[in-house]
Amino acid sequence: MVRLEAIPEYVKKSLAERNVWPASIKLTAGADLSIDGDFCETWIVITDESLVLIRGPVTSSVSFTGTGEKSRTKARESKSWRVDAFETYPLEEVEGLKVENLASSCILILKTKNGEKALCCFTNSHSRKFRLMAKLLDKVKKGEELVDEDFVDDRPLSYCPKCGMLYPDQARPVCPRCLDKRSIFLRVLSFVPRYKVQTTLIILFMLLSSALNLLSPYLGGQVLFDEVLAEGGKYYGRVFEIILVIILARLLSLLISITYARINAGMTAEVIYDLKTEIFSAMQRLSLSFYSRKQTGSLMTRVNSDAMHLQYFFHDGLPYFIVNCVNIIGIGTVMVIMNWKLALMVLIPAPLIVLFLRKSWPKLYALFGRRYRKSSSMNSLLNDTFKGFRVVKAFGKEMREIERFGRANEGVYSVDIGLGNMIHTMFPLVSLGMTLGGIIVWAAGGTQVISGSLSFGTLMTFANYIGMIYGPLEFMTHIVDWWNSCMNSAQRIFEVLDAVPEVTEKPDPVRLPDMKGEIELKNVTFSYEPNKPVLQDINIKIKAGEVIGLVGHSGAGKSTIANLITRLYDVQEGSISIDGINVKDLAIKDLRKQIGMVSQETYLFIGTIAENISYAKPDATMEEIISAAKAANAHEFIMKLPDGYDTRIGTGGRDLSGGERQRISIARAILHDPKILILDEATASVDTDTERQIQEALEKLVKGRTTISIAHRLSTLRNADRLYVLENGKIVEEGTHAELIRARGVYYKLYTKQSEALKMRGVGD
Amino acid sequence: MGDSSQKQLLEFTTVTYLDPEKSKFSRTPGGFLSLVTEDGREYPRVNLHRAFPFTQTNEFISVRDPEGNEIGIIRSLYDFPREVIKLLEEEMNRRYFAPVITKIYSLKEEFGYTYWDVQTDAGHCRFTARSGSSSFIFITDVRILVVDVDGNRFEIPDFRELDEKSRKKLEILL
Repeated sequence: MVRLEAIPEYVKKSLAERNVWPASIKLTAGADLSIDGDFCETWIVITDESLVLIRGPVTSSVSFTGTGEKSRTKARESKSWRVDAFETYPLEEVEGLKVENLASSCILILKTKNGEKALCCFTNSHSRKFRLMAKLLDKVKKGEELVDEDFVDDRPLSYCPKCGMLYPDQARPVCPRCLDKRSIFLRVLSFVPRYKVQTTLIILFMLLSSALNLLSPYLGGQVLFDEVLAEGGKYYGRVFEIILVIILARLLSLLISITYARINAGMTAEVIYDLKTEIFSAMQRLSLSFYSRKQTGSLMTRVNSDAMHLQYFFHDGLPYFIVNCVNIIGIGTVMVIMNWKLALMVLIPAPLIVLFLRKSWPKLYALFGRRYRKSSSMNSLLNDTFKGFRVVKAFGKEMREIERFGRANEGVYSVDIGLGNMIHTMFPLVSLGMTLGGIIVWAAGGTQVISGSLSFGTLMTFANYIGMIYGPLEFMTHIVDWWNSCMNSAQRIFEVLDAVPEVTEKPDPVRLPDMKGEIELKNVTFSYEPNKPVLQDINIKIKAGEVIGLVGHSGAGKSTIANLITRLYDVQEGSISIDGINVKDLAIKDLRKQIGMVSQETYLFIGTIAENISYAKPDATMEEIISAAKAANAHEFIMKLPDGYDTRIGTGGRDLSGGERQRISIARAILHDPKILILDEATASVDTDTERQIQEALEKLVKGRTTISIAHRLSTLRNADRLYVLENGKIVEEGTHAELIRARGVYYKLYTKQSEALKMRGVGD
Repeated sequence: MGDSSQKQLLEFTTVTYLDPEKSKFSRTPGGFLSLVTEDGREYPRVNLHRAFPFTQTNEFISVRDPEGNEIGIIRSLYDFPREVIKLLEEEMNRRYFAPVITKIYSLKEEFGYTYWDVQTDAGHCRFTARSGSSSFIFITDVRILVVDVDGNRFEIPDFRELDEKSRKKLEILL
C-alpha cells in the first residue's frame, strides 16, 4: 500500500514502464527542486527491494502552501511530463536517508556504503514527509510492515473543502478566502443584543434628528417665504410665530443630539471595555507557542486597535448607515415630490462626485496606511534608542541616532505632506461638485421663479436640501472600505477568541494534589518549528528528591526540557511522566502548583516587593513572605531599602540589581513551595559574591525537592546526584561529576576548559 | 596551564582564512563539495555558509564540515581560479535557494496573509505569506525579502527596478 503521498497516474505509468510495479511500492514522496536548484518534479519511491528516483523536466510553474490544491495539481501537468532521470539503488546498499536544512530549502541525502549522495532538493513545504520517509526507510529495510501509527506524525496538510485552498494556518481550519464575510457580520451582530437598548435608542434619536433636519429647510424656506412673507400666504404676516416654531425645532433638535451623543459615548466605552476584556481573557487561555509565534506588538494591536475598529461598527457604522439610508431616501422623496424636474437636476453632478470619490478613496486610504506604518516605525526607533541609551552614550553615538531619527522623521514628514496635499485637493473638488449642483438649481430654478412657474420659497428649500443630500452620499462611497476594515478587525478578534490552545487539559484529568516528584522522560523528541528538532530521543529518569544537572552548550536544548516538564509545550514524540502519570493526563492546576521555576530571566511585575514574592501564593501571610525572603538571602537588602517590602518595583519603579531580582524570584519560588524545582541558569547573570549568596539560598531551597538544575557554570553543579550532558538535542553522557571527569569525555573537556578560563582570568575555582 | 589548551583557545579566537592557491575544492561523485586544505587535511564533504548572505554574497564565506565546525573562511570568491568559482557558486546557489521575483502578476492582502502570484527567475510561483514585517523584510532601502508560511524565501533585489505595474501592486506593502 502506497503511503505518504499519492503519485499521479503519469508517474505511475513511467515507473511501470521501468519495471517498478505499484504493488511493490511502500513509500513515495514528491520533491520540487533539483540538485541544481531548478524547479522540477522529482519522486522518491521506496519499494521492497530498492529506492528509486524519477525526475521530470524543469517546470515553469510552482504553487506553495496556501495557494490552492487545484493549482498545485495543475502545475503537475501530465502533458509536460517526461522522464529526465531514473536512478535505482538496491536497498541492501542503502544505509539511510538524511534530510539537511539549507538556508531556506532542504536537501535529501542518500547514505550508501560508498559514501553520501545528493538526491534532490525541495522547498520547506515538503520537508515533513521526507523526514518521515527517512525514518520509515529503516523499517522497510528490516522487512517490517508499515502500520498506521507510523504515519501519525504525517499530519496531512488540511485544505478548505470548498475552494481547495490550503489553510494558511494549519492549526486553525478556517479558509480566509471562503470565509463568509456575512457570517462574520452576523457574528458581530450577535454582540448587538447586549447593547440592544442603546443601539435602538441611538438609531431612534438619529432618525428623529434627521426628521427635524428635514423639516427645518421646509420651515425656513417654503413656509417662511411663500406662506408668511408672501402676500396671500396662508400665515401671511405671522413672522414671530414662525420664528418661534423655527427656534423650537432647533432647540428640540439640539436636545435630541445631546441625548444621543451621551448615550453613544457611554455605549462606546462599554463596547470597548467588553471587547478588550474578552480578548485579553481569551489570550490568557492560550499556550506559550501562541505568544512566541506572534510579535508582542501585533498582540497589543489586537487588543487595542482591533477592538477600536469593531467599536466603530456599533457606534459609527451601523447607526450612520441606517440613518444615512433614511436621509437619502427621505430627502430624495421630498425633493421629487416638491419638484421632480429640479430634483433630477440636483442629481446631475452626483454621479460625477460619487465616481470621483470612489477613485480617490483608495488612494487616500493607501496614504493613511503608509502614514500609519511610517509613524509606527518611527515609534519603534524611539523605543529602540531609549532602551539602548546607555550604549548610545557610552559609544558617543548621539549624532548617529539623531541622523537615524531624522530619516524616520523625514519619512513621516513626506507622507504627511502627501496626505495634506491629497486631502486639501480632494475635498475642495468635492465641494465644488456640490456647489455645482446648487448652481444648476439656482440657474434653472431662477428662470422658473421669474416665469412664475416656481415659488421663491420652494427654490430656497431646494437649495437647502441640496447641501443635505451630499453628506450621506459621500458616506456611501466609502462604506465598502469601512465594511472591509471592520470585518478584518472582527476576523482577527475572532481568531483569538476561537484559537484552540495547543496545550489542553484532558476532559477528566488525573488529580495529583500531593506529588512525590518522580520524573521520567521517555524517548522525548520535540521541535518548536516544524522540521527543526531541538530534542531527540531524550531519556531521563529522576527519583523523588534527587538533584540532577543538565549541562551543555547554549542551544543544546536544556531549557526546552524544562519547558516540556512544566508543560508549557507538549512533546511531539515520546512521553513525560510525573509519579508514573503522563503529564498530558494530569490536571494542569496540580502540575503547575507543584513545579516551581527560577530562571535567568527574572520577571518582576509592576507592584511591591511583597506582591512580587507572593505572586504564586497571593494569600501568603507577612510572616511567610519574610521567612521566604530570609531563606532567599533577600531579607537584608530589602530591609535596607527605605520602603522595605513595600518598595514598588517593575516598570517605573525602583531599579534592582540582577542579583537582587534573582533573589526575589527565588523567594517567590520558596513561597510557592513546589515539589519539583527547576533552576534554569538561576545564577548566570550575577557576580561571584552574589552567586555565593544565591547558591546558599538555593541549597536551602532544593532540600526535599526534586531539582533539575541547568547551569553554564559547571562548578555550581558539582553536588548534583547526576549530570546529563546534552549536545545538539541529544544526551551524550550521564553520571556524577566524578564519574564524568574520570570518563574524560565531553563533560571533562567542558569542565577543564571552563576552569582554565577562570584560572586565566585569575578567578580560580 | 597546558600548551594544548592555550593553542585551543587561540584557535577558538582567531579567524582562519583559506589560501586560494593551496585549498583544493572539488566535486564528489555524490554531488557534494570536498576540500583538501593546505596542511593536507581532507574533507570529503564541506558546506558553504555566507557570513553576509544579504550584503556580501561573494565574500567571507565560511567553509564548514557537515557537523558544523568551521574549517576556514574564504575571504573573496574571486581570489580562486575560474573553475573553482563556478563550483563554489553552484554550491552556494543550492544552499541559498531564493527565487528572484521579476514580475508581480497579483498581490493581495487579506485577513493577515498576503497572496502572491509572481514570475521569478526559477519560474512562475504562487505562494502565501503572513502579513507583517516578519515576512516582508527590507534588507536594504530597496532590497526586499519575502518569506512564505513555510519559510521559503523570495527576493526582490531592487523594487524600483520592477516594472510599473508590479511596483503598483507592491505599493500596498511599502
